[in-house]
Amino acid sequence: MATPLAYDLEVVETRRRWPEALRDFGRRRPLGAIGAVVIVFMLLVAGLAPVISPYDPVAIDFGAMLARPSSAHWLGTDSFGRDVLSRLVHGSRTALLVGFGASILGAAIGAILGVGSAYFGGRVDLYVQRVMDIFLAFPLIILALALVAILGNSIPNLIMAITVPMIPRCALVIRASALSIREMAYVDAARAAGFGHARIVLRHMLPNVMAPFLIMLTAFVGQAILLESSLSFLGLGVQEPTPAWGLMLSGAAVEFAERAPWMAIFPGLAISLAVFAFNLFGDSLRDALDPRLRTQ
Amino acid sequence: MHTYLLKRLLLIFPTLFGVAVVTFLLIRIIPGDVVELRYSGDRGAVSQQLLDQERARIGLDKPVWRQFATWIWGVARLDFGQSMWTGAPIWQEIKLRFALSLQVAVMATIVAVLLAIPLGVLAALKQDTWIDYAVRVFSIAGLAMPSFWLGIVLILMLLIVFQWLPPMVYTPFWVSPWQNLAQLIWPALAVGYRYSAVATRMTRSAMLEVLREDYIRTARAKGLMQKLVLSRHALKNAMLPVLTVVAIEFAFLIGGLVVTEQVFNLNGIGLLFVQAVAHRDYTLLQALVMLVAGAFILVNFLMDVAYAWLDPRIRYR
Repeated sequence: MATPLAYDLEVVETRRRWPEALRDFGRRRPLGAIGAVVIVFMLLVAGLAPVISPYDPVAIDFGAMLARPSSAHWLGTDSFGRDVLSRLVHGSRTALLVGFGASILGAAIGAILGVGSAYFGGRVDLYVQRVMDIFLAFPLIILALALVAILGNSIPNLIMAITVPMIPRCALVIRASALSIREMAYVDAARAAGFGHARIVLRHMLPNVMAPFLIMLTAFVGQAILLESSLSFLGLGVQEPTPAWGLMLSGAAVEFAERAPWMAIFPGLAISLAVFAFNLFGDSLRDALDPRLRTQ
Repeated sequence: MHTYLLKRLLLIFPTLFGVAVVTFLLIRIIPGDVVELRYSGDRGAVSQQLLDQERARIGLDKPVWRQFATWIWGVARLDFGQSMWTGAPIWQEIKLRFALSLQVAVMATIVAVLLAIPLGVLAALKQDTWIDYAVRVFSIAGLAMPSFWLGIVLILMLLIVFQWLPPMVYTPFWVSPWQNLAQLIWPALAVGYRYSAVATRMTRSAMLEVLREDYIRTARAKGLMQKLVLSRHALKNAMLPVLTVVAIEFAFLIGGLVVTEQVFNLNGIGLLFVQAVAHRDYTLLQALVMLVAGAFILVNFLMDVAYAWLDPRIRYR
């Protein structure tokens, strides 16, 4: 008799405590846990950048131009004699700021558009979908490039330029999940209770698309970091002397690739590791949160 | 089904028109115009009168709606006009570069498919083993590495290990296939690896889904060999969603290689795009965006047709 009782209790108690849930996630999804650890590490590095970076990231030292990795400069120096490690450490701030900024904004606006579009249905839905179709036809980088050209390339503008192409991609996914929620009894109940459209969309429907929202959000952080580094690489994103990974790869890094390969290798590794971590984590989160995609 | 396809076909036009409007307005908000930029080297030495004259010559003095009407009427007749920067006809500017970008896109797609299908099938068969994890890490790593960086590393490796650099000048395939491939295989590898990631994951999940179908169990129960079950029954049915992602990525590849072309010094559509933005060459930009977006919209439509045609289970209103 004891076993079924215990089983029942486990089912009833759906709200687990955080440490327990985390441990469970780590055990069942080791790859996702690795991603999470790297993300936490990056957040720490970004937060403590001024404390842990050995040099000033913008300090020019012509005496140490293109120095090999050594005990003085662990990852070498660039063509201005700036310490590569310090620039990497500070660059993580730029990457995370743009990555989180653009993906939170893009996913939030996309979610509201998607839920609203599904809730109102009919004509509103049709028009919103057509506009989204139009924006989806532009490749990410091309739309972002045009927007940067319009807005100018300060960091807030860069975030805006990366946000816009994210919006339709998120709206599309969220709308699909919201369509089924619209048919739920509690939405009817809220409508019958006389609540306004805004309240129903924001209070009743939006919380129920949290799972796809979080999935899109984590998937976008990696993409936004990649997009920022691409734009900076082209010289259209973050401007010198601000340390940014994509920027560190452009110009001199390619020119001196043979003489000073560390200039090209380390920033690329940093970008790859960051995007890799967010993708791993996002992937596992999707498996954990979305029961339809769960394998077995 | 015919009404569905017809409806779907007719939807192409408003979307393309929307793309045209958005592009047209967006690029005109970018500060500065082609005339200003061309004479910017002379600083204040150019009179306002000359600038106005030059604007009138290329039609930039007319109201925006008139400019749009003229342009869209041209587009409807497939006449994209002349480049505002060089004055050459647009098709002439695009022709050679398009051939190059298309070739890289085709080669990258082949690389992606050759990687994705075997890896995806393998991961699905060995689900939740270390092989599955390794494939997953390999493909997520592909998505994470910026292809321009992968390009730099590839070139660096060729240089350090083989003391050899790929040719930096483009040779058309029909002139010297060897020279051509020696240059283009590297960007194709860098980009193809990256794009194989999505297709690998799609192959894996499609295979997993199909392998649980009743007809697979039936085929196994009949005593068919595993090889035959996989190739004739499973793979064939799992390929449709894979085909879709590959096709859509291909459409994006044609215009989306903006950064990779920079690294490999390829004078393709992507580089042309960056130059057109820098020069505020409105007509060229408009044509490029219409080309890229048009390819994307068309491929999407063809995929819907393929679905309706190949999968009889799907019913349309």
